[in-house]
Amino acid sequence: MDALFRLVSHQKQHHSHSFNSTTTRTSNSSSSKSSHFIYNQDQDQDQEECFNFFMDEEDFSSSSSRHHHHNQYYSSPQPPFHHQSSSNTPTPTTSTTTTPPPISHYGFSSSDLQHSDPNINYSYSPSRDVTMEYSNSFSNNTWASDLLLDAARAVADKNSNRLQQLMWMLNELSSPYGDTDQKLSSYFLQALFSRMTESGTRSYQTLSSASEKMCSFESTRKLALKFQEVSPWTTFGHVASNGAIMDAFDGESKLHIIDVSNTFCTQWPTLLEAIATRTDETPHVALTTVIVTRTDAVSAVQKVMREIGNRMEKFARLMGVPFKFNVIHHTGDLSNLNFNQLTIENDEAVAVNFNGTLRTVNNRRRDYLFNTLRNFRPKIITIVEEEADLSIGTDGFEFVNGFQECLRWFRIYFEALDENFPKTSNERLMLERAAGRAVMDLVACSPEESVERRETAAKWSSRLSGCGFRAVAYSDEVCDDVRALLRRYREGWGMSTAETVAGIFLLWKETPVVWASAWKPV
Amino acid sequence: MMFSASVYSSSNKTSTSLSDQDAATSTVSPVITSKIHHDQFTPSITLSSISSHVQEHDHLYPSPQKIKKKRNLPGNPDPDAEVIALSPKTLMATNRFVCEICNKGFQRDQNLQLHRRGHNLPWKLKQRNNKDEVKKRAYVCPEPTCVHHHPSRALGDLTGIKKHFCRKHGEKKWKCDKCSKIYAVQSDWKAHSKTCGTREYRCDCGTLFSRKDSFITHRAFCDALAEETARLSAAAAASISIPNTHHPSIINNVTNTPFNIQLSSQNSTTSLFHFNHNHPNPTWIPTQDPNPARIKPETINHPHRPTHHLLPAISLPYYQDPDPTRIISRAPATFHGLHVSTGVHQPPAHHLSATALLQKAATVGHVVDHVGSTMSGLDMGELGHVTSSVGYHQHVGLTSGSIATWHKTDRLTRDFLGLTGDQEVDHHGGVEANVNVRSMLTYTGGIEIPADGGFGTSGSDAWGNC
Repeated sequence: MDALFRLVSHQKQHHSHSFNSTTTRTSNSSSSKSSHFIYNQDQDQDQEECFNFFMDEEDFSSSSSRHHHHNQYYSSPQPPFHHQSSSNTPTPTTSTTTTPPPISHYGFSSSDLQHSDPNINYSYSPSRDVTMEYSNSFSNNTWASDLLLDAARAVADKNSNRLQQLMWMLNELSSPYGDTDQKLSSYFLQALFSRMTESGTRSYQTLSSASEKMCSFESTRKLALKFQEVSPWTTFGHVASNGAIMDAFDGESKLHIIDVSNTFCTQWPTLLEAIATRTDETPHVALTTVIVTRTDAVSAVQKVMREIGNRMEKFARLMGVPFKFNVIHHTGDLSNLNFNQLTIENDEAVAVNFNGTLRTVNNRRRDYLFNTLRNFRPKIITIVEEEADLSIGTDGFEFVNGFQECLRWFRIYFEALDENFPKTSNERLMLERAAGRAVMDLVACSPEESVERRETAAKWSSRLSGCGFRAVAYSDEVCDDVRALLRRYREGWGMSTAETVAGIFLLWKETPVVWASAWKPV
Repeated sequence: MMFSASVYSSSNKTSTSLSDQDAATSTVSPVITSKIHHDQFTPSITLSSISSHVQEHDHLYPSPQKIKKKRNLPGNPDPDAEVIALSPKTLMATNRFVCEICNKGFQRDQNLQLHRRGHNLPWKLKQRNNKDEVKKRAYVCPEPTCVHHHPSRALGDLTGIKKHFCRKHGEKKWKCDKCSKIYAVQSDWKAHSKTCGTREYRCDCGTLFSRKDSFITHRAFCDALAEETARLSAAAAASISIPNTHHPSIINNVTNTPFNIQLSSQNSTTSLFHFNHNHPNPTWIPTQDPNPARIKPETINHPHRPTHHLLPAISLPYYQDPDPTRIISRAPATFHGLHVSTGVHQPPAHHLSATALLQKAATVGHVVDHVGSTMSGLDMGELGHVTSSVGYHQHVGLTSGSIATWHKTDRLTRDFLGLTGDQEVDHHGGVEANVNVRSMLTYTGGIEIPADGGFGTSGSDAWGNC
């Protein structure tokens, strides 16, 4: 994060709106404007006091180890504001060997900013007050949400002082390797920072490229399978959808499944096994997997899908199911996919399976996609999506509310990951990083480009109904299978239905997280 | 007994006679008795001889002509037995044994007897009426649509008929809490619960799973599955002078996965798709004949496969082709020709019995995974347990896959043992197969393909000759 802040200092020279002052934050920088220079000096003077101040932290922090941990952070004196000299002077108990880190370390010193916005009270608050402001948050363990939310508000208010203050604090506290709060802080802070610096798209691409370099068939397989082993997050949807597909295809002898999923075909082995064992006359199965890619990710994904295709074909042979496999790499929005171009034979019954991919469609194109689907007239479409309303707005109130919902959603996700994976799990880290990229996409990138804008089941349902679909209820057997599936996992998972919305929900600690439903064209 | 005759005549729809006198037992009501209708069947043997025959040999059929059903199917009762038809209510009644004195009902006879002692009956009445006990009883299912409704298919055991009625026609009230399977009979449910979840699945790679679904998903993507073909492909590539990659179009069109591993062609999946689209996919038997369609392609393979070991140079490329079914099924004549050309006499594969083929296959050193799997399949249901001595069964990993295949192998056996017609269907499937086999055989280098003979004629003639 330090590097990011360093970056800010340079960029701030170019952005006049975000920050009131352009500060090249090297404490000994003589290039800084004269006015800043004064503050620098002040800064240095006060650091000792800040030192003292931070020692105070111990006084009112609880004895939980966490707060001690926090104290470590505080011991490196970095007061955002120091305006008035602190009145308490306890002797510094810990020797903070880190010399008062140059302000450049954080890229900004609030000292020069304090004059920028006289109307806002807390601009003038001393550093310790800021921390004290959140003392409740710390004792209640809600510091991450509180800080992040206030940061979002500061963004909405365009209060850069405040924002920087909070971001500084978050930076101190966050870590992608810590607990859930620290992880959330880390990824959201990163996204907020990119938003501030208008580098969201670039940051996202950097993060994506980094992950794609590591992407291989083995790593993908390991990730997907491990996730499915410890958590029903994806298998819930698989079991529900496969059940609905089996029911819909009952009696058909040629099946064609169009699969638009983000689970790398891990859904299909169990379906193939069911087809092989439960049908008297094994039908022919064709599987067309559509992978929606950004242009630069194509080759890596292609390789992975090729290998996946190999395995699927082999497995189908093992199962004794006549099988055809095809992959379509679609670049661009999913709604542009021409379903009629897919090679479907006349006597094939078609199912279209969406697992975690409807959210990638541009908001305004979703109805268009459903209309196209309806005209395509598949026998059934199965949908699995995460239950959240992440239609984060661009500014103001909409932004804050959307941000809050994002925070809520990713908190649940991270907690679910944390509790189900072993403590040190590379797979969990990969999933968290992917979530971090999603946060970046939502917070720092434009809604037009976003591929993570989840909608609630209610919203999807109303879209589908409006486009000429009606819901198909899951049979009792399917529901039983889902319940049995959940029993095979650890505690905390549940299943429910909603009165107003078709389909079933996966619950994590009573909160709906994943929605699965089946529809057919009217 | 007249009963015996009707038992073995399935066309005889009349009900059997019970004992000539009343058939009412002391325990149940109502009981239906009926008489046989002689006019509806014409036994070649007189009834008396039938019954005496039966009495001499307890469970032998009196005469072959009369026997329509095999004895070992359930619900072929002792012809001497008294057929009792109970109503569903009676069947399900828990207190079948009723004390004649106070009409108290008991679940078990022993309990009733214990109870009766308490009545201080005079000694004579205490004794149970033994006349009724000697007769064997057979019970019919009250459900009219049931196959066991007919006395000829009555079940010999009261508990048996009760369980049957519950299982087939009853409401499933018992549910396994682990896997949500439901049962109508409590003992079934208990038995299942004991084993549910305890079953473990082992993948070829050595990993153990307690959950079937995670096992299946793992298996599908496991390297152990891919290893076989990769190893064989590599071995084949090494041994063949002209690598198969020289003819990617052919091979791609013909084969599936193994080549995909070797070839970097991006078109592999799509061309595969197209090919399959254009031709009745040779991977599986065309749907004209549903029976073979159910058979795993590999299982059809291996009857013929053992012949390969006689042609070592050719064997590997064949193993590369995961679906030599097609080749074989389209060209048994080919092999015939091959055999001729190499001077080895071998009867056409399909004339060999299953056991013989198994033994032959056992001598083949290096087998493709699905051949091994078919070996296990042919093993007739030894799930995951391949008895053939060759170590290739370890490649099979069909612990669950074999579930899918083994119950289809009986058809397989019958089919390939009795086959001719099935294969005809595939013969005219396409020129590609022809070409492919030809080219593959050509590349082995070790075999001289005769200008005539199996491959002499291009097109479907060669196939058509078989």
